[in-house]
Amino acid sequence: MTNLKTANLNKWLFNPFIYIAGEQALFIGWIAMLLASGIAGFSKTHFDGALDVHFGAHAPFVTSLIEQCVAWLSVTVVLYLLALIFSKSRIRFIDVAGTIALARAVTLIFAVLGFLPIWDLNKPVWLILGAFLLLLPIIWMIALMYNAFSVSANIRGSKAIVCFIIGLLTAEVLSKVCLHYLMPYL
Amino acid sequence: MIKKLPSVCPSCSAALKITSLGCEACDTIISGKFELPVLAKISADDQQFILDFIKSSGSLKEMAQKLNLSYPTVRNMLDDLISKLSKND
Repeated sequence: MTNLKTANLNKWLFNPFIYIAGEQALFIGWIAMLLASGIAGFSKTHFDGALDVHFGAHAPFVTSLIEQCVAWLSVTVVLYLLALIFSKSRIRFIDVAGTIALARAVTLIFAVLGFLPIWDLNKPVWLILGAFLLLLPIIWMIALMYNAFSVSANIRGSKAIVCFIIGLLTAEVLSKVCLHYLMPYL
Repeated sequence: MIKKLPSVCPSCSAALKITSLGCEACDTIISGKFELPVLAKISADDQQFILDFIKSSGSLKEMAQKLNLSYPTVRNMLDDLISKLSKND
């Protein structure tokens, strides 16, 4: 019974996409991303890339929101294209978009962590401690994004791992290029 | 207790065949070698999935709602079943 409960908890923590996807996941993910962008403005947190989290510089809400959108959209578009190429199932864009949005709900944790007074280059010991603190939510977000891709694209095993790594790296580059061209207008 | 219809030999794991059919009313027994129907070769869960799918008029959205699962999860289950059936062909 306990094993069953733990298994269910693990599924909800790392693969909620078994139960939630599509419009519902998109809605929940977007609410979380909006909240994270709002908090990030106060905690001086930036999500300036598919996998990036940086602390220290103040940014208005619009900038935070656009950073979030670019990060989410770049991962979604790249993984959707990979799914179209490598999956044998009929893939829906809304499933990839929704599940990736829900996976990015973890950015809420980063936005809150930005309030900690340890993100100071003059305090290297605190900074290292902070880096370790960030590791857990980063691993969680990557695991969620991988499962989001695996469920929405119906790709599993080594093929899914290779596609996901290539996709994530491509999305990181794409998001950086997009933000580079967008930032002068913000 | 509902007896499960075995499709694989418990001794050598080869596919089983029907060798006799009986009439309960007059005790007639027909012997021969008959193939198991494709649907009888899959698991009870998979058979139930197919029944639910037909009862939902083939709507994956309705199936997802009934099973409390997401749409892609149900679609993946169906795709897995299709590939299982293709292997059995």
